[in-house]
Amino acid sequence: MNYKVKKALFYIFIFGVGFMFIIPLMYLTTTSLTSRVEINDFPRPMFPSLSHETQWEWDEANNRYTFYWENNSEEYIPLNYGDPEYLSEYLDAYLNVSITPDELEDKIESARLDGEIVDVRLSKSLFRNYGKFFDVFSGAEDAFVNSVKAAVYTIILSLSIGGSLGFAIARTNIKGKDAIGIGALIVRMFPTIAISVSAAVLLINFGLFDSMFGLAIVYSIPNIGLTAWITRGIFMGVNKELEEASLVFGASKLQTFYKITLPLVLPAFAASSMYAFITAWNDTGVALLLTNKNETLSLLLYSSIGGAGSVQYAAAGSLLLIIPALVFTFFLRKYINQLWG
Amino acid sequence: MSYIKLENLRKVYNKTIEAVKRFDLEIDKGEFIVFLGPSGCGKSTTMRMIAGLETVTGGDIFIDGESIINLEPRDRGISMIFQSYAVWPHMTVFDNVAYALKLRKLPKEQIKKIVDEVAVICDIKEHLERYPSQLSGGQRQRVAVARAIAVKPKLFLMDEPLSNLDAKLRVSMRTDLKRIHQDLGSTSIFVTHDQSEALSLADRIVVMNQGVIEQIGTPNEIYHTPESMFVAQFIGSPPANFFDVTVLVKGDKVMLSAKSFEFSVKKELEKKLKEYDGKQIVLAARPENFTVDKTGLIETEIIIVEPQGSHIVINVEVDGKEIKVVTDKLDLQVGQKIKLGLTDKYIVFDKDTTNRIY
Amino acid sequence: MDKIKTRKPFWKSPYMLVLPALIFYLIFWAGPVFSAVKEVFTSVDGGFSFETIFFLFEDDKFLPALGNTLLFAIVSIVLQFLLALALALFINRNFKGSSFFLFLMMIPMAIPIAAVGIIWDTGLTESGWFNSILSVTGIQWFLDTIGITDGAILWKGATGFKAIMLLVLIDTWTVLPSVMIIILAGLQNLNKEYSEAALVFGATRFQTVKHIIVPIIKPTIITALLLRIISGVQVWLIAVMVFDFDTVPFLVERIVYYNKFFYTDEYFKLSVAYSIFVMMLVMTIATIFLSANKKAERGRT
Repeated sequence: MNYKVKKALFYIFIFGVGFMFIIPLMYLTTTSLTSRVEINDFPRPMFPSLSHETQWEWDEANNRYTFYWENNSEEYIPLNYGDPEYLSEYLDAYLNVSITPDELEDKIESARLDGEIVDVRLSKSLFRNYGKFFDVFSGAEDAFVNSVKAAVYTIILSLSIGGSLGFAIARTNIKGKDAIGIGALIVRMFPTIAISVSAAVLLINFGLFDSMFGLAIVYSIPNIGLTAWITRGIFMGVNKELEEASLVFGASKLQTFYKITLPLVLPAFAASSMYAFITAWNDTGVALLLTNKNETLSLLLYSSIGGAGSVQYAAAGSLLLIIPALVFTFFLRKYINQLWG
Repeated sequence: MSYIKLENLRKVYNKTIEAVKRFDLEIDKGEFIVFLGPSGCGKSTTMRMIAGLETVTGGDIFIDGESIINLEPRDRGISMIFQSYAVWPHMTVFDNVAYALKLRKLPKEQIKKIVDEVAVICDIKEHLERYPSQLSGGQRQRVAVARAIAVKPKLFLMDEPLSNLDAKLRVSMRTDLKRIHQDLGSTSIFVTHDQSEALSLADRIVVMNQGVIEQIGTPNEIYHTPESMFVAQFIGSPPANFFDVTVLVKGDKVMLSAKSFEFSVKKELEKKLKEYDGKQIVLAARPENFTVDKTGLIETEIIIVEPQGSHIVINVEVDGKEIKVVTDKLDLQVGQKIKLGLTDKYIVFDKDTTNRIY
Repeated sequence: MDKIKTRKPFWKSPYMLVLPALIFYLIFWAGPVFSAVKEVFTSVDGGFSFETIFFLFEDDKFLPALGNTLLFAIVSIVLQFLLALALALFINRNFKGSSFFLFLMMIPMAIPIAAVGIIWDTGLTESGWFNSILSVTGIQWFLDTIGITDGAILWKGATGFKAIMLLVLIDTWTVLPSVMIIILAGLQNLNKEYSEAALVFGATRFQTVKHIIVPIIKPTIITALLLRIISGVQVWLIAVMVFDFDTVPFLVERIVYYNKFFYTDEYFKLSVAYSIFVMMLVMTIATIFLSANKKAERGRT
């Protein structure tokens, strides 16, 4: 019995902790699925609504419809009035309801014909904010492309330079391996945002200021060191006898590298590129200091803060930023300890 | 009343896996008990239940008449040597040995005195200020022993403590453990899968298989009168040879008949085997229970010869299977024709129950 | 057998593999570091001078920024270490659903800080989701009743110590999983017999953690803490997104602030001076931790 109580308490605790960590993200997701009118509700619902309850009546004097919307506290509050044409636009903008004027007219015309109040349930187009995000924030598409570019350049730089360095430490008898190791450790810890201020001058001279390649260079400072460290470990781990066996059986050095070594070290390169991707994708500060007009997605979201009435779009944008980072982090979790080796 | 009593002890994992099905044992003060069995037989689990590192599913454990199953490990008055020694790497040898004493809040001088004493017993006096990483495997083992005897436990548990040592060290460490036990007279339980360790150390051996006790007895009893086929097979190196034989009662005489040989059994056995007339039983003979000479009853040819210095082990074919025979006739050659005889020390088992008939 | 020495062409030398990295770091790492130092020690008209250094120390916000940064880094590292250790010890067993739990735990650490900023910027407004939870769960009512609060809490109005503690909590939410995962990995590599031996030899569970487990996995812990404290001293984005610039000054916040909102050479140099200060701070902390790590590993391997 005692054992069962303990077990139950354990699971309650675990569930509580897990829930605590997930709640903020749940609210962000809900916010991203919330319409402009709902956003002012308090208390904020934990789960998004899928439809709106509305009431419509015909205003004979002004020859127009008036409609009421049911809020969180189950009160109907008047929202707007006008003809179906106008109200259809309004519903899309403020309630995320996509409905044509004709369809709307069909649903509410009995209010006009019979002079009664009509209850109508309008279903939301749930992901409307994600589309609106790109409308509201001009340049969001470019920013998205820029973020991908910066990440890809960082991957290329880190993998090519860091990978060959890692191979050199692991497999050749060069001198100064200790010094390289310490150097790699230092650059991995170096605050990139602090170096950005003076790197800006350098990038201006190279014509790389305000470019994604310029950003990638700064992102690569810690990542080349990291890639070298990860690949070094893997190249040392690859059994040399496998390669020698391949050579003995008549393969050329190049064939051996492609057929034997590369498949074995591929996971390490995948992990390194995901790290590089995340560094670039998640950064805001360096991009803020080293760009002018060419924003990254993260920078765009940073500057969206404080824009009244756009919270739900910023939330939608945030999820677009979060999802790739989330996916890559999960792939990486096995490697997380190697980050500082 | 016995000093330690394990009563109907059971352990079930995840409601389905029965690691220990039933375990009853009484241990006298000062006895050296060895739990012996193949891996997964439940011997370590039983020891860990005694130590309190594993919860008990059913049954009870008494030390000095007191049930201990609801006590924390630290309150059970036990000490333990672990398979990996578990000598804490961040403490010096002195601190390792002294840790338990410090927790007992003994005065500093007394701790030092005890540590010095056990360090002499375990021959680690000159290593007290070193860290475990600076010691060899054997020295670490001695530290683990010193740490365990320093607390003067009511019961001393050892979980395969010699299995990580190399062969030579294992034998000398075994002698040292026996000497320490003889000097201190501590009640001990020792878990191993190595039968030679068990035979050389134990006052009594508990042979376990698949969660149950197969036999409890002195090393001599276990070796010479195994209660089941499992014990006969598990103990002895090389293990005992088994033959399927048929019992034939011919007047006064009782014969055992195999494919290639037939003989009349020893007097003591006749009465017991009469009821098996016409049935198959299993004949077990240890490699040293054979004679190799010109008068033996089984004619065969030597297939392999393995010299062992003082004696040789030969493989011969009997009844269509290879058996091992130990002999001191050192000049035997491969391909030589020999005649095997059987001494009186053979054992017979019931084929269905696998228990010993005689 | 003797090796036959043939002279390889220089481009086949193994040093060619090191060369790209060397050139990269010379230009893009050593270059900016060097020019930053030079920038700080030259006056606006080009001569050698300590002007910028004086300017830095005379800056009203320098000491608050340094104090806030250190306070934030130290409080968050202590809190996160204790919580992560407790949590790691707690879930260091295979319970049903443990991998799913870890999966949930890891979500916050994957979230880019800009998004974290948006989550909490929207969450901490007067009618944001955080106050919604307090209200729905009755915590708000409870706090009101016992007189701690009077109506919805205005989180964004927090200043000074309170503001920093709020930022510590947000940071803890984000990074606790990463600290916990590193410690958990350390625990899982730890030989179980070490702690079992302690239990048998008279230690309580708490003493086992304190005397045996923590000291043995100390190198792992130091690594995790180093990682945390380095990013701790670089905190700024959350502070700016929740409280805006110039309200809760941090060292890196100063770099960005002087760089982005002032357009004179003096302020550019001031921003560079803050950069150098941050670099030195990070490197000093790293050195201290790494030598502590060496000490912890000494005599063990």
